Amino acid sequence: MDVAARPALPRRNGPTAALLGMAVLVASEATLFAAMIGTYYYLRFETAVWPPRGVPEPKWVVPVILVAVLVCSSVPMELGSRAAQQGRLAAARSFFLVALVLQAGYFAYEVHDFADQLRETPIDRNAYTSVYYTLLGADHAHVFVGILFVVWLLGKLAFGLTPYRVNAARVITWYWHFVNLLTIVVLATLLSARA
Amino acid sequence: MAVVAPPRPAAERREARLELAWRGRPGLLGWLTTTDHKRIGLLYFWTTLVFFGAGGVEALLMRTQLERPNNDVVSPSTYDQLFSMHGITMIFFFIIPMTTGAFGNYLLPLMIGARDMAFPRMNALSFWIFLASGIFIYISLFMGMAPDAGWFDYVPLASRAYSPGSNIDFYCLGIIFNGIASTLTAGQFIVTIFTSRAPGMSLNRMPLFCFAFLAASFGLLFALPVLTVDTVFLFLDRNIGTHFFDVAHGGSAVLWQHLFWFFGHPEVYILIVPAFGIATEIIPAFTQRRMQAFPLVAIAELLVVFIGFGVWAHHMFAVGMPTVTMVFFAAASAMVVIPSTIQVFAWCWTMVIGGGRFRTPLLFIVGFVFMFVTGGLTGIMFVAIPFDQQVTDTYFIVAHFHYIIFGAAVFPIFGGMYYWFPKVTGKLYFELPGQISFWTIFVGTNLLFFPMHIVGLLGMPRRQYTYPDGLGWGAYNLAETIGGFLTAAGIVLLLGNLLVSWFRGEEAGPDPWHGPTLEWSTGSPPPEYNFAVIPKVSSAYANWDHEDREEDRRRLEQGVLVLDEGNRQVAVTPVDGHLSEIVDMPHGSPWPILLALALSLVFTMLVIERYGAAAIMGVLCLLALVGWHSHEPAEETA
Amino acid sequence: MRAGPCAAAATAVLLLAGCGGSQNALAPKSHQAADIASLFWWMMGAAWIGLAVVVALLVVAWKRRARGAAAGGHDSKAGERAGWYVVVGAGIALPIAVIAALFVISDIFVIRTTQAPAASATRLTVQVVGHQWWWEIRYPGTRAVTANELHIPVRTPVRVDVQTADVIHSFWVPALNRKVDAIPGRTNAIELEADAVGSYRGQCAEFCGLQHAHMAMEVIADPPARFRAWLAGQERPAQPPATAGARRGADLFTSGACQSCHTIRGTSAAGTTGPDLTHVATRRTLAANTIPNDPPHLRSWITDSQEVKPGNDMPNLDLSDAQLDALVTYLDNLR
Repeated sequence: MDVAARPALPRRNGPTAALLGMAVLVASEATLFAAMIGTYYYLRFETAVWPPRGVPEPKWVVPVILVAVLVCSSVPMELGSRAAQQGRLAAARSFFLVALVLQAGYFAYEVHDFADQLRETPIDRNAYTSVYYTLLGADHAHVFVGILFVVWLLGKLAFGLTPYRVNAARVITWYWHFVNLLTIVVLATLLSARA
Repeated sequence: MAVVAPPRPAAERREARLELAWRGRPGLLGWLTTTDHKRIGLLYFWTTLVFFGAGGVEALLMRTQLERPNNDVVSPSTYDQLFSMHGITMIFFFIIPMTTGAFGNYLLPLMIGARDMAFPRMNALSFWIFLASGIFIYISLFMGMAPDAGWFDYVPLASRAYSPGSNIDFYCLGIIFNGIASTLTAGQFIVTIFTSRAPGMSLNRMPLFCFAFLAASFGLLFALPVLTVDTVFLFLDRNIGTHFFDVAHGGSAVLWQHLFWFFGHPEVYILIVPAFGIATEIIPAFTQRRMQAFPLVAIAELLVVFIGFGVWAHHMFAVGMPTVTMVFFAAASAMVVIPSTIQVFAWCWTMVIGGGRFRTPLLFIVGFVFMFVTGGLTGIMFVAIPFDQQVTDTYFIVAHFHYIIFGAAVFPIFGGMYYWFPKVTGKLYFELPGQISFWTIFVGTNLLFFPMHIVGLLGMPRRQYTYPDGLGWGAYNLAETIGGFLTAAGIVLLLGNLLVSWFRGEEAGPDPWHGPTLEWSTGSPPPEYNFAVIPKVSSAYANWDHEDREEDRRRLEQGVLVLDEGNRQVAVTPVDGHLSEIVDMPHGSPWPILLALALSLVFTMLVIERYGAAAIMGVLCLLALVGWHSHEPAEETA
Repeated sequence: MRAGPCAAAATAVLLLAGCGGSQNALAPKSHQAADIASLFWWMMGAAWIGLAVVVALLVVAWKRRARGAAAGGHDSKAGERAGWYVVVGAGIALPIAVIAALFVISDIFVIRTTQAPAASATRLTVQVVGHQWWWEIRYPGTRAVTANELHIPVRTPVRVDVQTADVIHSFWVPALNRKVDAIPGRTNAIELEADAVGSYRGQCAEFCGLQHAHMAMEVIADPPARFRAWLAGQERPAQPPATAGARRGADLFTSGACQSCHTIRGTSAAGTTGPDLTHVATRRTLAANTIPNDPPHLRSWITDSQEVKPGNDMPNLDLSDAQLDALVTYLDNLR
């Protein structure tokens, strides 16, 4: 081997490709939601009464509490990510499991509620219901993908910790911070119809 | 091992180890599972050429139909599918994949001194998704159900009420499908540019080509999601009864246009900025001068895309927007001229002081400058709102954007084909047929597109499958048709020349042009590991820094940054280009093509409205992803 | 060698103004179109100068070809300082000045002279409704309804309100003014003011489906007196059939398929899918300016409309020769 012959090269820490890749994905998804939220307000300003007559105003108490619960999952995610970076496998697993419980609980209730709302006021009523359900549904889809990520990560962590998995834990945590922020923005947009 | 084999110089031994580590699988399986950016680049190249041929045939059919008044070579319905597919093909299946997919994939890692893209498997995935989306949308053409509401697909014409067939569903899904591939490619380039450059290549030492691709990638990243949202809305409107674009239920037909052009105008710059990048490689190579006003050109490349996001509504001046809105967008459209004029004069001045060798690649760049300036000057005219409203949706516009898209995007692509031909094949092309092909294409395109300005002013609207006699349009249309076939002949000559040269051309050697950037410092064709040693870089024209290249040879002897234990590459800090870590690269994987296959099943189920089956195919995609990530490349962060 | 095709093309463009096609944007017949046309000529002049500058630079580069190596190669600094002047001067300063001037002239001044008048600022307002693929034309305040033929009094500003019944169309009469889109749920307006008596061709400019190519119309500028007489004629209900043949045609029309899509005021036919035919015989063309309006063409339109204009809403009616004769006689007398 030539290792011995190699002079040491100076190094500096930079973001990993995985982290940059997640940043790029987040930028792209953020643009996607920006376009949908832009649509929401465009349609709103084209319409005299918002929400249109015959469509109930969006409920706020339960959704706000639920989103608060979801946003709290950022804390165990972040702690899990740090634990993974420090090599504390058991701690990382527990933190991610706690996060998963919060996220899955939120998701289960929201899906149930989404179906209820659809039964009451179908999506094909008017432009308001179209954009309302599409925006909310897209947000739920992102939560669902995040849950899949965490399930997959826990599956991987069941077999120990590698640098690759540490990296994965970091980027999935980043994804969740983004999704939580996104959920707040989406909820705020939808609740703006109440004002 | 050293005991058995005769002693060899350390450098050769290291190269042999690299060779072994990076060698792809032989045969077809090697191509299907490859993650080598050069092979993926070539796959993109051949595939996009096929689509270019299809788009070209569509164009020639249209020109044949319009050759005389009241002609009936094709039916109105066929004509509508032809012009829609021509636009979709040339934009989504030729220019974007040709520039980013083929040129970018093949050349970008070579120019920044990397051994592969940052995410090699994702790179393969982009290609297979792109190919699948192309097949998906072309199947519709052969079924006679191709998109037929134009590439910009305005509602309500594209809504279920006025387009009951599957045509527009193919459009929506095909565009979304293709958009996934382009988004992956864009993200790939951004991350690769920021992390995989050779140590020492700080951003200000990065070749202008890479700046152009960075700009185009950012453009794609922020423009495509908006198109995706737009087409998703349309798909939902058509298939589950939402009312985004339905005025009767509170929707808006103009909403489609806003979202479409928010994507569509940056798209124009996404098409031409990579071509600018090609020009900024060819000009220095043939004038042997660095690009003049380098920092301004780099900034201009980024700025043109950035400002391009603020001008979309100038496509909609006839929609009936408030005058204040129109004037704002006209002013923004005026601003976007400046980064272009900066570049035009920088290119011209470099050629003037360089006193270049006018070989075929540079001829294409000269043609490009001429066409781009012509198209740009008519583009400036659209700042004048009343004039824009007079000529919008006429052949004047068709002339303008073909000068831009054919002249400014495709000419550099042709120039680039000639320029990098020796690098990719190791052979020289034949010069005389090359120059003839240039003049044929140059004369052909001008004959094809210039009269369109005139018929546009004479009142001929776009997108009509025929036109009456007696309005003075016939002779110009005939000239355009002749120009179209002349252009096609030139392109056939170009491709024929390259094909013959591939087998019969002289050996090119590693650096026939004395090129400015790193791809010319390695073999032709480059070895699978690209560089035996990660190159030392101290300027944007690294191949002209002879001392650095000497240093590379010394490093290879000493084993510095050779990284020959497996498939390794360096990662650097994003801005300064300091060495940050050594990373293990994945090498060869069956999962990208399997995932793309599963994804195409999802889209197929969606288009035939089997949503349950689509969900099952979605689960297949997830399984493919799990399989993909079951292999973990080790990452050495020490 | 590059100057050759350019000069030829320049000549071709200069010839444009003279060749007076009836849909020619550069043969303006109104002050609005004239303003836009002269704006174009100025812009085109400036564009040729701009192109000439760039071509001159390219020619200089060509004249200096193959001097690269002699000049000292890529380490030479010669011309760099001048390069900054060229790029900053010609690439930044000059275009800013030129474009600012263009912006002020076109988007502050010309835009005013060519834009639509305020509602009810003109003595006459016409309502144009785009259909796939024909133009419905109404004169608000009167009962007159016609199709594909917009009559206006000469030298009189007329406001045209443009709407659509289905998809997006674009109302465009190049010799008179710029175009404006017909957008679902909106009313856009444009001003027409013809300088001379005559007929000006217009055409739908936004792709609107299969027969976008055959969605033209005629704007006819008449002296005010003749216009008033025409309008009065259009207001009247259809005249009853005078001959036995025409009467058979009328019966056929009102009892058969025709009346489900077409209106003839004064009869029971009140369909709204197709054009109002109350005074169809006064129109010069049929099928949105696709064929002339005379008995043979009318006959072929009724029997073979899908041959003439494939995809339009008119079915190919299965009529006997005698029925056809009667129908054509009736329609041809609706003056």
